[in-house]
Amino acid sequence: MTATAARPAAVPLGPPPSMVVKKFVSRVLFYVVIALLLVFFMLPMLWIVLAPFDASPSLTIKLPDFSTGNFSELWHNPYALRSLLNALIISLGTMALVLVFGALASYALSRVRVPGRDALLYALLLLSSIVSGTAAMVPIFLLMTNVHLIDSQLGVVLVMTGGLLPAAIFILKDFMDATPRSYEESAKVFGASPLQILRHVVIPIARPGLATIAVWALVNAWGNFLVPFILLRSADKYPAAVVMYTFYTEGGQPKLGLISAFSLMYSIPVVIAYLVVSRRYGFRFHGGIKS
Amino acid sequence: MARIILDTLSKQYPNGVLAVDALDLTIADGEFFALLGPSGCGKTTLLRTVAGLENATGGRLLSDDRDVTHLPPGKRDIAMVFQDYALFPHMDVADNIAYPLRIRGEHRTQRRAKALETGTGLGLENLMDRRPGQLSGGQQQRVALARAMACQPSVFLFDEPLSNLDARLRLEARTFLKKLQKDLGVTTIFVTHDQAEALAMADRMAVMELGKIRQVGTPAEVFHRPANTFVANFIGSAPMNLLAGETADDGLRIGGFTVPFPHDSPRLPPGTPVTLGARPEYVDVVGTSTPGAMAGTVTIVEYLGATALVSVQIGDERVPDGADPVLGLTVQAMVAEGTEPQIGARIGVTHQPNRSLLYAADTGDLVSGTGSGTGSGTGSGIPGSTAATVSTTP
Amino acid sequence: MPRTAVATDAAGLGRARAGGFVAPALVLVGLFLVFPALWTIYLGLTDYRLTGLAAAAPKMVGLQNFRDALADRFFLNSLWLTLIYVAGSAIIGQTVLGFALAWMMQKVRPSVRGVVETVVLLAWLLPGSVVSFLWWAMLNRRDGTLNALLDTPGYNWLIQHPMLSIIVFNTWRGTAFSMMLFSAALQAVPPSQLESARMAGANGAQQFRDVVFPHIRGHVLTNTLLISLWTFNDFSPYLLTAGGPNHKSEILPAFIYNRAIGTGELGYGAAISLIMLVINLIIALLYLTLLRTRKVKT
Repeated sequence: MTATAARPAAVPLGPPPSMVVKKFVSRVLFYVVIALLLVFFMLPMLWIVLAPFDASPSLTIKLPDFSTGNFSELWHNPYALRSLLNALIISLGTMALVLVFGALASYALSRVRVPGRDALLYALLLLSSIVSGTAAMVPIFLLMTNVHLIDSQLGVVLVMTGGLLPAAIFILKDFMDATPRSYEESAKVFGASPLQILRHVVIPIARPGLATIAVWALVNAWGNFLVPFILLRSADKYPAAVVMYTFYTEGGQPKLGLISAFSLMYSIPVVIAYLVVSRRYGFRFHGGIKS
Repeated sequence: MARIILDTLSKQYPNGVLAVDALDLTIADGEFFALLGPSGCGKTTLLRTVAGLENATGGRLLSDDRDVTHLPPGKRDIAMVFQDYALFPHMDVADNIAYPLRIRGEHRTQRRAKALETGTGLGLENLMDRRPGQLSGGQQQRVALARAMACQPSVFLFDEPLSNLDARLRLEARTFLKKLQKDLGVTTIFVTHDQAEALAMADRMAVMELGKIRQVGTPAEVFHRPANTFVANFIGSAPMNLLAGETADDGLRIGGFTVPFPHDSPRLPPGTPVTLGARPEYVDVVGTSTPGAMAGTVTIVEYLGATALVSVQIGDERVPDGADPVLGLTVQAMVAEGTEPQIGARIGVTHQPNRSLLYAADTGDLVSGTGSGTGSGTGSGIPGSTAATVSTTP
Repeated sequence: MPRTAVATDAAGLGRARAGGFVAPALVLVGLFLVFPALWTIYLGLTDYRLTGLAAAAPKMVGLQNFRDALADRFFLNSLWLTLIYVAGSAIIGQTVLGFALAWMMQKVRPSVRGVVETVVLLAWLLPGSVVSFLWWAMLNRRDGTLNALLDTPGYNWLIQHPMLSIIVFNTWRGTAFSMMLFSAALQAVPPSQLESARMAGANGAQQFRDVVFPHIRGHVLTNTLLISLWTFNDFSPYLLTAGGPNHKSEILPAFIYNRAIGTGELGYGAAISLIMLVINLIIALLYLTLLRTRKVKT
């Protein structure tokens, strides 16, 4: 391009200055947008980081007047700790059931041909997206009343497991499908029994997928509000999700100190679970949900 | 060590596809045997059926005189190396090699010692603590071999053992595998779609098509006397020239030319449609008016190093007796480097009758040396070969 | 020909053991997912109530519940609000924002990407009742942070703009899923195809239309379906506004809860649930049709 010009000496190589400016401006704008989005997502969360350590927390986000008083208040509240324990029981129970049943089912479905398997799985996945929400709260409420699992944590665990299993099987099956069969066949040629194959080969290889599903189930059950809200009656069985709600809706002025400390304690396990999985396995879709 | 016998062995899939079609085959003890064929010919299914990974739906499979047709894979005393090696990614090399011993319930320290011993034999002694993901393709292959050797089976099965290696490594691995098999003396069956691999490594081979074995023989037999046009076309780095024509009293009529009969051709009534098979290696470039030559124009010259492959379009205005020139009839000739003609040159080509074969046009089966009292059955040596050497250009 | 000996699947499970592996999951799913869904159909045809006479002896009322629903101004209002909610927070909010984030995160340093993705993911991971409270605090009339930032003391967002509040809330909460799905999809676009398009002289928009979009189309569909369904059935806005004020944010889940559990009209609630199931089904079928036409084309 510049070759034909009668060389006015100072023509710089590279793009003309107007384009450099344009590029710079668009780069700045780009980062401004990212910064705004970051603020949008971070702003509501700041409260939970700051308020628990404030001697006199208000709803406004502000730098705390440092104190650990809110945590001692939490420690002495009869419902708070109890509800965290309840949440732990419910979510660990749900996780265990989802993991064991989901792994077994997805493995068998991945390896043994069953006619209509994919259609069935897809139908169940859709159904679980629909039913575990609110559309089935009436029949689930009645069902649990009739089988005397109302106001029982076991009932909550079973309902949640039923709701989470289809998606767990769907994702795990995809994961198992992606594992070459030659691993198992190789073990089989060496004489390993089906259970040995499962123990020595399949479970270790599927471990990242299993870990992801475990954490996914744990986080889901830990945060689920609706199921325990409908199925539990006694306050001493409430998991943290329900207690959190009662803290700020029931009985006049919300105790912000207690609520903030409680929110933090209630949220930390989820964050830790996320960090563990993302550190060890990378928190990505393991080909789980694809086109 | 074992002899493997297939007795009308069949494998039909539930969808009706007959992947292995009533095969009879005997693989001798200690033999390095290749199953060769294009993809979808059933060679891998056959290997998996021998392994026990697929159920035979008919016939019997004998290992020595033991009927193993319906035994689970682990009870067949067979080891298999998979195409992708199937090394367990969560175990280190030592644990991978020792895995068969773990299944047998051997103690951990003992089996790791044995793994080290086997691995050392294959030059893996410094890699025992690595994970498969940290190894090169060639190293992975050796780990897979070591794992197969660890349980000292009487039969090895290799599924496409070289396909996961790059071209250079493949040549090395070919030599290595052949030597290893000879040293161990274990009956070995391997599957490949690459005829050069089969020719180079196997003691004997079976060429398969559509679930059937089209020919069994040593590499030399299969190369020099393909039993039918399918095998003829499949074997050889450049495919055999297969030229349609018909018999006459004084020779074969092909593309308006008359060429000599291959030696040991049976007497066939004039006018019988046949196919002449001549390897490019055994086609000579001559002058256009040489007796018995087909004349044509050079269209392509492919340089192959020590040799060059010349494609000649047969037929021209000088076709004798005003016969119609046959379009699309191309003969390929392998010539020594430096002697190749120019593109567009007019040349003649002749086949060497002592190294050419005649096939029935309808069935595609070999008729040379089978009829009119010649008496020698198929696969009994090389026709008229005095100084034939197997030349496989990789 | 029945052969007993060798199981044909890779692990040698065999049909029987495989059935045993699947059974527990199927039983749980059947009991707590399929059965309630079916029961909804029956309940929707009765006048079942939580308390009183109809609780003891519910009787069939046929399609009366559905006729009532279609004449129920609150139901129609709720249906309309649900559509706005799904369109606003799932389809526009989460999909667009999620894609924008995934797209932008391709072009930033890994450290920036890590921070942004973690923050967005946290919004998704935190328990529903906690984030509901956080937003309740943000939007609070008296000393909410938003009012402090905008200098609009005393402005009650949840009363003045209940729908906008729950739409923004749900967008904030759910964007992570779309972001991760799209970022996985974008990584799967073969660079060689993008480079070919660039060599052919395609600009950014053309590259997107001709290379990127065809690759992620399936992901876009999957994503839209899943988040539409999730949003459609999402109960968490209830924690923020409880459907109020005066039914102004009473989307279907809240409506069902208020009527079925709140005022005890179980039969009527079930009928509405059934309508919801049917709408869900329509969304799903629509999606499957789109997916199929895509598969036929390729």
